Amino acid sequence: MDEKLDQWKKLANAEVKKMGKTVEDLVTKTLEGIDIKALYTAQDTNNLETVDSLPGISPFIRGPKATMYTARPWTIRQYAGFSTAKESNAFYRKNLAAGQKGLSVAFDLATHRGYDSDNPRVEGDVGKAGVAIDSVEDMKVLFDQIPLDQMSVSMTMNGAVIPILAFFIVAAEEQGVAQALLTGTIQNDILKEYLCRNTYIYPPKPSMRIISDIIEYCSNNMPRYNTISISGYHMGEAGANCVQQVAFTIADGIEYIKAAINAGLQIDDFAPRLSFFFGIGMNLFMNAAMLRAARYLWSDAVEQFGGNEQSKALRTHSQTSGWSLTEQDPYNNIIRTTIEALSATLGGTQSLHTNAYDEALGLPTDFSARIARNTQIILQEESEICKTVDPLAGSYYVEALTDTIIQEARKIIQQIDKAGGMAKAIELGIPKRMIEEAAAETQSQIDQGKRVIVGVNKYKLQKEEAVQVFDIDNLAVREEQIASLEKIKLTRNSAAVKETLDNIRVVAKEGGNLLEAAIDAARVRATLGEISEAMEDVFDRYVMSNECVTGVISKDYHNSENGAHEFDEVKKLVDDYANNEGRRPRILIAKMGQDGHDRGAKVIASAYSDFGFDVDLSPLFSTPDEIAKLAVENDVHFVGVSSLAAGHKILVPELIKKLHAFGRGDIKIILGGVIPPQDYEFLLASGVAKIYGPGTPMIKCVREAMEQLNPQ
Amino acid sequence: MINTMSADDIVEEILKGNRAILAKAMTVIESTHTKHHKLAGEILDKIMPLIGKAKRIGISGAPGAGKSTLLEALGMYLISKGLKVAVIAIDPSSRISGGSILADKTRMTTLLGDYNAFIRPVPSGGHLGGTSRRTRELIFLLDAAGFDVIFVETVGVGQSEIEVADLVDFFCLLQLSGAGDELQGIKKGIMEVADLIIINKCDGDNKIMAEITQNMLKNALYILKPKHSEWQAQALTCSAKDNIGIQNIWDVVDMFYATMESNGKLAAIRKEQDIGWFKQQIEENVINMIYNTQDIKEFYSRTRARVESNTLSPRHAVETVSQYIAQKLTSEVPK
Repeated sequence: MDEKLDQWKKLANAEVKKMGKTVEDLVTKTLEGIDIKALYTAQDTNNLETVDSLPGISPFIRGPKATMYTARPWTIRQYAGFSTAKESNAFYRKNLAAGQKGLSVAFDLATHRGYDSDNPRVEGDVGKAGVAIDSVEDMKVLFDQIPLDQMSVSMTMNGAVIPILAFFIVAAEEQGVAQALLTGTIQNDILKEYLCRNTYIYPPKPSMRIISDIIEYCSNNMPRYNTISISGYHMGEAGANCVQQVAFTIADGIEYIKAAINAGLQIDDFAPRLSFFFGIGMNLFMNAAMLRAARYLWSDAVEQFGGNEQSKALRTHSQTSGWSLTEQDPYNNIIRTTIEALSATLGGTQSLHTNAYDEALGLPTDFSARIARNTQIILQEESEICKTVDPLAGSYYVEALTDTIIQEARKIIQQIDKAGGMAKAIELGIPKRMIEEAAAETQSQIDQGKRVIVGVNKYKLQKEEAVQVFDIDNLAVREEQIASLEKIKLTRNSAAVKETLDNIRVVAKEGGNLLEAAIDAARVRATLGEISEAMEDVFDRYVMSNECVTGVISKDYHNSENGAHEFDEVKKLVDDYANNEGRRPRILIAKMGQDGHDRGAKVIASAYSDFGFDVDLSPLFSTPDEIAKLAVENDVHFVGVSSLAAGHKILVPELIKKLHAFGRGDIKIILGGVIPPQDYEFLLASGVAKIYGPGTPMIKCVREAMEQLNPQ
Repeated sequence: MINTMSADDIVEEILKGNRAILAKAMTVIESTHTKHHKLAGEILDKIMPLIGKAKRIGISGAPGAGKSTLLEALGMYLISKGLKVAVIAIDPSSRISGGSILADKTRMTTLLGDYNAFIRPVPSGGHLGGTSRRTRELIFLLDAAGFDVIFVETVGVGQSEIEVADLVDFFCLLQLSGAGDELQGIKKGIMEVADLIIINKCDGDNKIMAEITQNMLKNALYILKPKHSEWQAQALTCSAKDNIGIQNIWDVVDMFYATMESNGKLAAIRKEQDIGWFKQQIEENVINMIYNTQDIKEFYSRTRARVESNTLSPRHAVETVSQYIAQKLTSEVPK
């Protein structure tokens, strides 16, 4: 073998000699920092602890089930929800008729954060990025004519888990379905909310208690229901690489096991009901290997707690990456999603959501949703990949990658363990900082063209074609929700509501099961906002501190001469301004409404600061009035609004109005994020100076900001 | 817009409570460019007779000590008593980029949105010690604008606390609880300038530790020579998060003012600070002037090069440059 390998090396060197390279130059570094060689051989898989395993048997590298897709393919589970419960219900039933197997409910941000639709803080959020649910009445409408004893329902809910799960249980009850028959999953993964998505409500400690209460209640009453979906997806979206995603997710899982055991449960009573959720990016083999590595690491971790085979098997849902979607030339997203879907299924996922190609622009249309669904159907029914289990097994490259991911992730998991577990590590800000650094670095590599994104930094279109995107009349939804809230409050037994809410406060304070208490409240029509508030009275509403890494982008640009030149040129514009005006350009990066996705805001804040701006970062969940006051008091030149949850059409004009009222209509508004093209005209007419979609190089934003700054 | 207004108009708008003009005037004061200095001077001249009513409070402490949470609780408490509150939060600028990410305001969300509060994060602009050059004048502006209490918040990293202590009447140091090593971490110099040490986060599991720390600090403060003979520095605990002990803190501040105002000491402290600042500014300006004189600049860099190449000892170099400057001054100053 060695002889043959030498021979290959000679040949390879001869082939690349013309380019002035040797075979060592062909080694590349992935985003994970893993070196990828030009060739893998049997030598790379010798003595790996991960090879030679079988599906259905621990450590489950090859899959949690013995037969995997050969007996039953993965579940096509498309995440959807918008507007009112009635509209979402119609959409679900249409999709089920067209071949979708499971349901996955997206709630709007007001619901996530525990606010009823009539709360003034959620003006721009109701019905936008998901369906608005205020009470059990809405939940009943959502599942109208969908028999809950036959349909597995996944619900993405983390903040307001208690009222939502209570509504679900009572809605089923009133359909005549017993709790024991309910199947599906509630995401209920609060730790990652503090890490990236920010749709938490309470501080970490009471939040962990809520999770133990849910695990306890469900293991007694709903044995077929998955109580947590431990999610790495949002970490991936926030910029985590595959090693980080798998490490932090497994570490989260370990923390939940500890919490449940502390609450007095036996490992095998709840561990089989923990499921996972991973995000799948563009690196085909890396992401497939990530799922294989995750199963190994989980099996290993659960074994430490004495779990049985069933407890050790990691089952996961996957979703193709939203971050990899581009606003530019968006039909390319269909191809990206296909590759990612292939990666997820080669990795052995149990269910899958494929993104619609227009999701970087707005909500999916019927057409884009169909293409997304058919991507999976074609994989299942035409590509013949389901005919054998784990076809990648034994590949030198994939096995070596799987092993490397395991080794690297293990290092991070051990580091977290040393810090005192994931909850503590999150409190210390360790994982958040790591993810934000990775995000800033990736973005700056894309900006410099070191990472190719077709249509964004290479093969750009001369002219972008208009793409039709779905729009929600948010005001109408809000009015409808407010009207039905009023009706519920008039017709319900208010004494019973008060009694059950008081009981929630008592249980929150003195112990008992919160889910059980909330089910009583849901039956008498207490609202989501009321139930959440009763717990808030005892637990408090939490705010995460808002730190931001600096220096990463500047450093990355200075890795190459071209980059350094490009960077310094723009930096000079900023420094010259500072010298001429006696102050640095100043920008307020603002997050308004209940949209907690802050990767973009953090990365762009970091960029402006690296280029020499003074940057104010607003707290999450601000109102337009608060942002206007902040902008005025800080005398900024710009407000950079980051919007990823479709609230911009209400919130941005409101902000501009408030600035005018302060006499500072001259402060320029820059808008970035997911902004449907058909909104551009309206927003520009409202007074927005610039709009940047996903994929805009950061250096361009800074350069154009400087162009707008006339010396006063 | 402000550059087209006269100092009279600007001051009039500030007195009327125009938030935007106040903020703009602060920017003019902060400007490092000479073209803004005239207007800044005029504004300050006009407001000087109007100020002196506001209480000037410094708050400093290590990152994580809970400064913002305390400001939120204390600020809202004062607003509930009908007072207007301003916060100047000084943030470090990056030495490399010159830019900055300013104050995390997440812990001040209520105060931030309240119209009786005005919060202005100020980049330190690379000024040593962390206090911005013009903080003192910003305090004057906010005083004139009718704010009753002005907080100056700094991240405690060594020298900056001592500088802030010279800008304010009353200086609070925020301390994390913990005995032994942590306590020894407080530098004596900082203890000496503190009028009050607050141990925040006195709640939950931390309560007993916070109280122990309070006692140790109390003892330590008794031994120190007091900053003012009329005031014994104190140590208090609070839980800004749970809103406990906030009123106590303000009672101590009130007591300080009652003591220092009745004996005329407050006016004396402020006068002393004004003069000290005046002196310091002149020194800074003079040094800048000297270094920016062409001949001296060249002579300096020539001498420096010789020090760098080891052809001249630093000691000798100091003398050479000093003599050169002395010569220049005596020969070129107009008679």
